[in-house]
Amino acid sequence: MFIMRFTERPYVAYTEDDVRNSFRSSVRLTFSNTHFDPKLGADLYNQYLDEYEFSEEVGFDGLMLNEHHNTPTCMGATMNLEAAILARMTKKPKIVLLGNPLPIFENPIRLAEELAEIDMISRGRLVSGFVRGTGIESWATNTNPVHNRERFEEAHDLIIKTWTTPGPFRWEGKHYQFRVVNPFETPLQKPHPPIWIPGVGSPETLEWCARHHYPYIYLETDPQVTVSMTDLYAKAAAECGYEPGPQNFGYLWRIHVQDTDEKAIEVGKGFLTGNAGIGRVPLPGDFMAPAGYNSREGSKRLLEQYKHALRPDPLYGGVDSAGWDAVVESNRIVVGSPKTVVKKIRQGLEVFRPGILGVWSNDGTIGHKDTMRCLQLMKDEVLPAIREMGKELGLPGPFEQAP
Amino acid sequence: MAYERKFVTVGGARIEYFVGGSGAPMVWLHGTEGNLGWLPLHEELARDFTVYVPTHPGFAGSERPPWLETFLDLSRFYLWILQELRLPKAILAGHFIGGWLAAEMAVMSPSTVARLFLIDAAGVRPREGEITDIFLHGSEGTRRLSFVDAKQVADYDLLFGTKSTPEAREAHIINREAVTRYCWKPYMHDPSLPPLLERLRDVPTMLIWGREDRIVPMECGELYRKAIPGAQLQVIDRCGHFPHLEKPAEFWRAASAFLLPNHRRD
Repeated sequence: MFIMRFTERPYVAYTEDDVRNSFRSSVRLTFSNTHFDPKLGADLYNQYLDEYEFSEEVGFDGLMLNEHHNTPTCMGATMNLEAAILARMTKKPKIVLLGNPLPIFENPIRLAEELAEIDMISRGRLVSGFVRGTGIESWATNTNPVHNRERFEEAHDLIIKTWTTPGPFRWEGKHYQFRVVNPFETPLQKPHPPIWIPGVGSPETLEWCARHHYPYIYLETDPQVTVSMTDLYAKAAAECGYEPGPQNFGYLWRIHVQDTDEKAIEVGKGFLTGNAGIGRVPLPGDFMAPAGYNSREGSKRLLEQYKHALRPDPLYGGVDSAGWDAVVESNRIVVGSPKTVVKKIRQGLEVFRPGILGVWSNDGTIGHKDTMRCLQLMKDEVLPAIREMGKELGLPGPFEQAP
Repeated sequence: MAYERKFVTVGGARIEYFVGGSGAPMVWLHGTEGNLGWLPLHEELARDFTVYVPTHPGFAGSERPPWLETFLDLSRFYLWILQELRLPKAILAGHFIGGWLAAEMAVMSPSTVARLFLIDAAGVRPREGEITDIFLHGSEGTRRLSFVDAKQVADYDLLFGTKSTPEAREAHIINREAVTRYCWKPYMHDPSLPPLLERLRDVPTMLIWGREDRIVPMECGELYRKAIPGAQLQVIDRCGHFPHLEKPAEFWRAASAFLLPNHRRD
């Protein structure tokens, strides 16, 4: 089993009123950057890097980063910079980027170059994930959302070709044209760094991943839906003549440990202000998914999938204590003492059977001190137990068995 | 008055249009709301003209050829639609993006256009204000900005009423997607259009604008007027983005003076 650690690197020094007073009461896209204090930002970036550095000592196999734009919920607006720093600061863990939002790049060759440098500086530790980005990423970069999937696929094909085909060559695509593709520096890993794809279960992406043998990382999706999405991947894989195993799947899960259940339940509540933001004010739907961002067919299939979703969902669940209790009760967010957490994780692993476990250890208003304690407890008690479980349940990661 | 819903296949795409009336041909080009069918407005025009109301490719009702991606593609393709409809010279009328479309077609092929009639048209970037980002404001926000007083609008529900049927909701999604495809970037304007407008010196042109249009500011009407030799601009007071719906009487007065200069309507 491959275990990686993740946080969205949040910025939380603003109020619910600030959000409500922003254009269309949105915490993303239009929430004014006048609410950002770079002095605090400087502290936070360094603190988050410290936490990742300590995560190597904790024993995580991977340090996972993500990227979002125009939002306090994730300070990783240029994830590759953080990745480059970690490439030099750490020695062992993989640097797992989940992922670079391909459609928003006007120049995917430049991205191929950045990733190749990270791969070399880290001496071959890069896992290069790619995403379509949320609609916010399209807005923030003024990329036409109707071309999102086309650009994702074309940029992907171009990057893979850049990494694997001797240059110079020429690319005349629909969205990208380059006459001399020949970046001199190529990745250390051959044929290229592993590609993993995170998501919330868009059927078209699942099938695309299956066709490419790319592991799919569920971003804390509903348990029931996760199982049916895995079937969809398996069906597409069968059409390509192979049977996927745990190495083809990952599950990102909010998991927070403290010395006692009581403390963990109290501190863990900070997760609720993570990617939903302070106040958990619902985002305008057309910000997250502008017209054309999802194909009409894909939207229908996604809705159909989610018909079977089990509530409560941590993103939509209530902020009151009843809502939080339900989220904890249903294991959508795992909080507790090491003993409790190990027991709860086992229940999930038995159902999802992922070869990759993403431990989203802290977010929102969970502070640095609590995070460091959480990571220490993971080192001493939780990670060793998960590793045993991985062996016992037969959950090889993608570095143990090729996906 | 009788009208028909018909289809014409152009470059492999099936294009829907409504046609009715008699007289010189006029093509009415719809705005971002899509083709709402044969409206009282078209009925009125059909008393003096053969009125064609096509659905733009990619909007609910008409197919989009897979290569058609940009507003310029749309404009070039539309000249082909007119050709297949056997309209070598027609009055082009249009609102918002429909007006922009008419202007693009006119500068590409001035001899195809008998008269140009633009209503609160997009296409020209204002120098001082901005064309409101209807995507960012969303459907509801845009609706609020569209009228000075929605109570003045008889066809309000037709335009912005709750989409009651699944088909109407689907059409709404398709139309939003089409507008996004053609108008996202550069947003609602073509940087090369203004210098080309001078080409329209022999095309009689009228611009009608709501003085309080909060979607396309009146400044754009002024810019069009200055760029097209001989163009007239008629501004309607206490009126927003849809003069033909919000102030139909004033709209008709201005429209008839331009479209029917030789006879008074009863």
